[in-house]
Amino acid sequence: MTGAGPAAAVGTHDMLAARINSFSFHGDAAPALRNVEFGVRAGTLTAVLGGSGSGKTTLGKLLAGWHRPGHSGTLAGWLELAGERLEFRGGGDDPRINPAGWSDRVGYVPQDAAAMLSTVRSTVAEELAFGLENRGTPRPDMLREVGRIADLTGLAAFLDRDPATLSGGELRRLAIACAVITEPQVLVLDEPLASLDAAGVIVVRDLIARLTKAGTAVVVLSQSADGLARSAARWLVLDGGTAAAGGRPRELLRSPELARSGVVLHAVTHTAPAVRAGLPAGAAPVLELDGLGFCYPGAGGAAGERPLLRDLHLRVRPGEVVAITGPNGAGKSTLLRHLNGLLQPLAGEVRVQGRSIASLPTGRVAAAVGLLFQHPRDQLFERTVLREVGFGLRRLRGREAGAAADAALDAVGLSGEAGTHPAELPASKQRLLALATALARRPAVLALDEPTVGLDRHGLAVLRRAIDAEVARGAAVILVTHDPLFASSTAHRVLVLEGGALREP
Amino acid sequence: MPAPLHPLTSLTAACCTAAVTTAAGSWPLSVAVSAAAAVLAVRAGAGRRVLTAAAAVLLPLGLSLLMLHGLFFPEGRTVLAAWGPARVTAEGLAFALEAGTRTGACVLVLLLFSFTVSAPDLVAALNVRGLPPQFSFVLASALTLLPAVAGRLGAIRTAQESRGLVLGGGALARLAAVRVQMVPLVLGLLEESGHRAQALEARGFGRPGPRTSYREVPDPPAQRRLRAVLLVLAAAAVALRLGASWPAAGLL
Repeated sequence: MTGAGPAAAVGTHDMLAARINSFSFHGDAAPALRNVEFGVRAGTLTAVLGGSGSGKTTLGKLLAGWHRPGHSGTLAGWLELAGERLEFRGGGDDPRINPAGWSDRVGYVPQDAAAMLSTVRSTVAEELAFGLENRGTPRPDMLREVGRIADLTGLAAFLDRDPATLSGGELRRLAIACAVITEPQVLVLDEPLASLDAAGVIVVRDLIARLTKAGTAVVVLSQSADGLARSAARWLVLDGGTAAAGGRPRELLRSPELARSGVVLHAVTHTAPAVRAGLPAGAAPVLELDGLGFCYPGAGGAAGERPLLRDLHLRVRPGEVVAITGPNGAGKSTLLRHLNGLLQPLAGEVRVQGRSIASLPTGRVAAAVGLLFQHPRDQLFERTVLREVGFGLRRLRGREAGAAADAALDAVGLSGEAGTHPAELPASKQRLLALATALARRPAVLALDEPTVGLDRHGLAVLRRAIDAEVARGAAVILVTHDPLFASSTAHRVLVLEGGALREP
Repeated sequence: MPAPLHPLTSLTAACCTAAVTTAAGSWPLSVAVSAAAAVLAVRAGAGRRVLTAAAAVLLPLGLSLLMLHGLFFPEGRTVLAAWGPARVTAEGLAFALEAGTRTGACVLVLLLFSFTVSAPDLVAALNVRGLPPQFSFVLASALTLLPAVAGRLGAIRTAQESRGLVLGGGALARLAAVRVQMVPLVLGLLEESGHRAQALEARGFGRPGPRTSYREVPDPPAQRRLRAVLLVLAAAAVALRLGASWPAAGLL
């Protein structure tokens, strides 16, 4: 603990408190959490900060009853909700948490927002009402509440949409709304700002301010000491599964504990957000988009709506980095899926290395274009990390395939995880692994969809190094991001996708 | 325009049609029911999916019926052709035709229902009638399973294509592609169901006590009466059939 004292530690008036001497998942030798003391008062915002693998999500799920002692793992310590303390010794006679009762009072929104959805509701409005239906709320009250929460979360225009058609940022707001609508006394949000655009960030910050004002205790789990975290009353810094420091933000902002952790400190890491210089002139473009037009057939029941992309032009030269920003749902991910032929434009043409890809299957274009998906979990399908990177590599790199896979894993710092199942990696390492699968193929064009989401400071450093190496090799890099600082500090050019076309900011 | 069918009305209609067709045991009726189901499926825009699924079920079934009853039908008297112990008899063929068309009609009618019913409407209708939500959730998951699996398979294929997998080519190449997609598909579905269970529990899905429904499915009185009539008809058809099969019991 730091000299600031264990300020996030347990107090007498806490709404939710915990003392975790140790918590281990079944089958794991080492505890995932040890020596963590935590308490949160009604009407306050508390931030739990830590890098990748620091134990934030485990702590959040324990507090919210998603990890139940005895069921998910063994806890030595206690949990206290609204003055009622449950003592755990790790034995068979430990108390049992009733998940339904606990979740009435403690809401949780996971990092993967899609995991929050019931999947059997056909509209956003019904998905929002799911928790109320299960509580037997009368229908008139449900209608009113759904309308109110949709207004608060900026979802009013989406109520009739199929949740499966929402963009990443819209989905996150829906997941938060689903947790808020049942009015829990404590709300635990895991990376609530990930993949939100600037407007979405404001909506969520306003919502959190409104909730704390109304008496809700809000806990934010984050690997970034961003504006939201800095507005918290208290911080708990986790490092390696244990509490490294706790206290007020201004006491901890310059503490060595925070500096040692993987927490992203924007002011520190982005001191010189100069646009990347030194683009070699004169080379022929490696990627050309000519008059691209695209529209999903009847997307979200909005058939006949204006096209998502229209008359879009872009030229990218070897060794150039282009960052594309824009509001949620503007079509950024859709644009990237055109680069390797996963989507075919309705108008216009995509040329890679001077050649149109219109008649080529994606599997062939993939030799020249590497794509990092927005949700890396969608991209990982093999049994081990090494097999994942090696997939399809032999055809491309021949005898060098093995060495190329090892080098790519080394470049993203995952050499030590070669035998791990990709599903067991934390979200940040899954993203780095997905990046490695693209790097190993040495593509002429590297397309990255939200590469910074879920990465801690160490992960961001890896990503920057990888982009630098790709640029030095002469690859073109196109990245979609909501992080304006990352965009301006990484790219030669920053473009905004809005109204279907690219423009200078 | 008439009111859209309440999911329970279409469910009742499908089940009663299947029962009446089975009880009647007349191949012209079975063929007529199959044709009607096919026309309705095409008109509902689900023709292709219903017919593909029906073909997948009925072709192997029809072939096995022909093999079993067409070639080996002990009661067969009118022998059309014979190869050793295998005899093609008119009675055997008639029986195979009867059984095949009857099963075909039932399969088509039930497929028509499952491909055209709105799963959310059905779940809401069942919940309102006090069925346990777990039951309706399983039902809805089953009805939406194919699209969900197709969606996940699409995501896996997208990822693999983006990493150099070229789809197409010969049957062997396609078979190899299916193999590399199946393992991640099954593992992914298992992993997802685990997460889903946690989220559902947290959102109060396992709670005891009464529930309400946000979705309202209009159930006009005319459709309730229609359902009652259909059920009576089906019961009558089954009773008649039983009476005809056991004349002694029918006389008592």
